[in-house]
Amino acid sequence: MTTELAANGKPFVHNHGAHCETAVTSALFRHHGVNVSEPMVFGIGGGIFFGYLPFLKLTHLPISAFRGKPGSVFRKAAKRLGADFVTKKFRDPKKGTEELRRVLKTGQIVGLATNLYWLPYMSERHRWNFSGHNIIVVREIENGFRVSDPTIGDMVDCTVEGLEQARFVPGPLNPRGYMYYNKTINHHPDLRQACIKGMKDTCNLMLRIPLPIFGVRGIRFLAKKVMQSPDKLGFQEACRHLAGTVRWVEETGTGGAGFRYMYAAFIQEASELFGSEDLVRLTHDMTAIGDTWREFSVMSARIIKQRNRPEATFTNAGGLMLKCADLEEAFFRDLQKVVKKLKA
Amino acid sequence: MDFEDEIFNDGLPKAYYKHNDQGQYVLETDAPWAEKVSVALIVSCNRSILEEIRKEVIAGQKSPLCYYMEMRQLEPGMLAKAAGIALFRVKRHFRPEVFAKLKPSVLDRYAKALRVTVEELKTVPDRKD
Repeated sequence: MTTELAANGKPFVHNHGAHCETAVTSALFRHHGVNVSEPMVFGIGGGIFFGYLPFLKLTHLPISAFRGKPGSVFRKAAKRLGADFVTKKFRDPKKGTEELRRVLKTGQIVGLATNLYWLPYMSERHRWNFSGHNIIVVREIENGFRVSDPTIGDMVDCTVEGLEQARFVPGPLNPRGYMYYNKTINHHPDLRQACIKGMKDTCNLMLRIPLPIFGVRGIRFLAKKVMQSPDKLGFQEACRHLAGTVRWVEETGTGGAGFRYMYAAFIQEASELFGSEDLVRLTHDMTAIGDTWREFSVMSARIIKQRNRPEATFTNAGGLMLKCADLEEAFFRDLQKVVKKLKA
Repeated sequence: MDFEDEIFNDGLPKAYYKHNDQGQYVLETDAPWAEKVSVALIVSCNRSILEEIRKEVIAGQKSPLCYYMEMRQLEPGMLAKAAGIALFRVKRHFRPEVFAKLKPSVLDRYAKALRVTVEELKTVPDRKD
């Protein structure tokens, strides 16, 4: 945690967070005097999700997303907490940078969507072509900007060219310099109402999308793919696909176990907010689900490392995933019932 | 030192939620072992694929366009949209004999989309640094 001054002399507190988008949203709210934690934003925005997208590929590996569409958590959380944000997109990079400078001069802190590959301060293991990475620019410095990237521990400097390249990437992944800053904020948001809305939304997303690749059904779909992968792809390639999945579970700013631990932290906070015994029980359930996902990734790592453990097979890894799917289905059906009893 | 530790010492650590003894969730910065293993595998695979393509380009089997596309982690479809050139043409330009005859205007569009200079686009680096 470090503190720095924004352009208008107001102190900005940089907190280390697990996920870029939720941490940025929470930092924006906190900067304007509304204390909302990162898991709270995640829960209210209905962030937890599953989607397996075999037709979209990054470095030849299919995407399996454990969270909603980039940008949706921010949008939903802002709406449910009653805050109004100005959002802008640009065609011309020069105009985007000028507008950023102008807004920073008015004393605002600005959230930006950037491409991870082009951010100059990222190390190689984080560099991959993903355009939904959110950061906050706090103020302008000599030929650069002071950037608070919540997924890394400290504030960093970023050059003007580097930031412009990261904000405007040619091709279908272009974030188009997406930027957002606060217009009005509700200083006493109705957290209970917002939590209920978020939980209901999450249950619908996980259980009721009638396509086999989303929600709980998506986990089962991917589990079957994992089980078949050594026959279909060969051992080496199957390992690479499995490593890709584990990367989506553990890396990519999930805070461990594919956002499941973060969601458990949210349910825990909500249980304190509502004083509900049911939610305390659900916290333990969610932690158990997170542990199962962690077990899956450890099992996968053993397969990749070829540690000669007889139980480390693709079938067992897929089986663990099926177990996760069953647990999650039970969890969200339970949550649906519990939410109905909660009073705003 | 293992390759995993090597790439994880590079750059700042990320944060992870951990369940502590009091039943509270706290943030910690130790990466889980499974993540280290899988990220190391992916990074080393990416490097070896890139190196293989570089060798193929030098051997004259592929065009340098392939190399730069791989370097920027793009798929042919994405490159086609970024450069504004039809996908079948992009795929054709992966053949070195076709690539060698390209007009400067087409090369320019690739160079802009891949953010390399036109001079760089015509060759691949001698050794991967």
